[in-house]
Amino acid sequence: MSDEKTTRDLLSQLEAVRAGLMDEQRTEAVKKRRAQGAMTARERLDCLLDDGSFREAGGLVQPDRSNVLSRKIEAPADGAVMGVGRIEGRVVQVLAQDYTVLGGSIGAVADRKMVRLIDCAVDSGQPLVMMLEGGGHRIQDGMNAAHFAAASPVFNKLALTSGWVPNVVAIMGQGFAGPTAYAAMADFVVMIKETSTMGMAGPALVKAGTGEEIDAQTLGGSRRQADQNGIADLAVDDEQQCLVAVSRFLSYLPSNSAEGAPVQPFSDPVDREDEELLDLVSANGREVYDMRRVIDIIADRDSVFELKPGYARNMLTCFARLGGRPVGFMANQPKRKGGVLDVAACEKAAHFVALCDAFGLPLVSLIDIPGLAIGPAAEDTGIGRRSGRLFYEMATATVPLVSIVLRKGYGGGYYAMGGGRAFNATAAFAWPSAEICAMSIQGAVDIAYRKEYESAQDPQQSRQAMIDAIREQTSALHAAEDFGIDDVIDPRRTRQILIETFNTCAPRRPDRSPPRRRSISPI
Amino acid sequence: MVTLDVVSEVTGTVWKIEAQVGQELSPDDTVLVIESMKMEIPIVAPQAGIVREILVQEADMIHEGAPVARLEV
Repeated sequence: MSDEKTTRDLLSQLEAVRAGLMDEQRTEAVKKRRAQGAMTARERLDCLLDDGSFREAGGLVQPDRSNVLSRKIEAPADGAVMGVGRIEGRVVQVLAQDYTVLGGSIGAVADRKMVRLIDCAVDSGQPLVMMLEGGGHRIQDGMNAAHFAAASPVFNKLALTSGWVPNVVAIMGQGFAGPTAYAAMADFVVMIKETSTMGMAGPALVKAGTGEEIDAQTLGGSRRQADQNGIADLAVDDEQQCLVAVSRFLSYLPSNSAEGAPVQPFSDPVDREDEELLDLVSANGREVYDMRRVIDIIADRDSVFELKPGYARNMLTCFARLGGRPVGFMANQPKRKGGVLDVAACEKAAHFVALCDAFGLPLVSLIDIPGLAIGPAAEDTGIGRRSGRLFYEMATATVPLVSIVLRKGYGGGYYAMGGGRAFNATAAFAWPSAEICAMSIQGAVDIAYRKEYESAQDPQQSRQAMIDAIREQTSALHAAEDFGIDDVIDPRRTRQILIETFNTCAPRRPDRSPPRRRSISPI
Repeated sequence: MVTLDVVSEVTGTVWKIEAQVGQELSPDDTVLVIESMKMEIPIVAPQAGIVREILVQEADMIHEGAPVARLEV
């Protein structure tokens, strides 16, 4: 009898090795995840992807055994399960870090797998989705110059995804160091409240480096990193919601920027008018209201997906649909800081404009702005320079842009929001309640005419007369008279006008850039 | 007792104090209103809690980031 193995024998051997990678045979690892109340990497892939659509690549790898510290470690798939799958029918390149493999640390082989995955996303024009949980570089591989000196090309590769394919990161648990660095290159980052963490280094390294003691959630939980710092776009309650958010984000975008954004069937009537819009926005500029409600009314029902809802809340950035077409709404939120444009709001809006422009989503800018932030606190944030990023992105964008002034269109903030002809908007509208001018009328009178009205017989009456006279020439109607805007519209018809405008305009405004090598962002 | 300071998002003048000591607040309930940039801007509870102290008075000038009330959370 021959000792030679048959193909069937070899196949059985292969299947045994492959089965060893699966959760069914990794009972201890699964038990640990259960104790932590968390899904395994493969369960996350099952939950995110269409049934049976996952095809793994690199599952059979072994960790780098040339390294003396790694000779005896167990590292199925080197801690990174990756391959191709589908989300709602669309092909994505997907990776899930396995926290049960050496704490989700990124080994030398896992790094090569990640680089390969990014190459596949870029070459095939398919979205990149990474579910991350781990502590960054694997110590065993990292403390070896033979591996570390070459450095990883992963960031070089990630930069290539920018503006070409959607790049999504879900921080599913601990995400200090490596995961945070990858997330910095992503278009959308989602965290889980009270579970996920992000930051340059975790508590142990912080204590070793600076002596400061701090717990992981306080240091890098969603309250700090999503709401306060805006390095994550969304914080949700649990893993399922996290993966739903990934799927929902992608649903507004094409697979790559050469394709059109996915238009969906819709049932909400194009000509739906809502009386609430007439009462919601008070013509009295002192009163605040909820701009998010305005967006909810105008957009297709239940289509609004807000990005960075907890960060820079004076600026709203939302994906939504109008007549089934994905669009981006950017809007001042009077309820928060009066809707002023501070540095955080400028940067939030600027990133959103770039995102929409890259993937062909028309922009709707809803303007009710008292101006750019002023005063020493604002100056200390570098607003004089950093607000420039919003002007820059507005000038760079070529997707259709419709601006609508609901109430205040004041100062440089009005320009920054794309009002009037500031950035060659596809159309510029105002509601009848709009007041468009360089600054608040009362402020202007107090600065320019104080001496004059104080010397009048009745200073108060004189001041009020000046305010009334100026108000006459800051109205929406006056703006339309000199063609600074295209029209003054009935608020109730905003939805229909937007849909019709986007149905009839070209998919891009002309790019009037001179033949330069590249432009340079102010920051 | 775990307390949380409610801070003003803007520099301005305290226009109206709406919440009272002992009152239970839900997230986003108005604590007080600041007049800033010719607007009445509500300062709201960042999370649910009971008002233990109001730290300012009407007509006070306050700076962005200044604590205006203390909640027990």
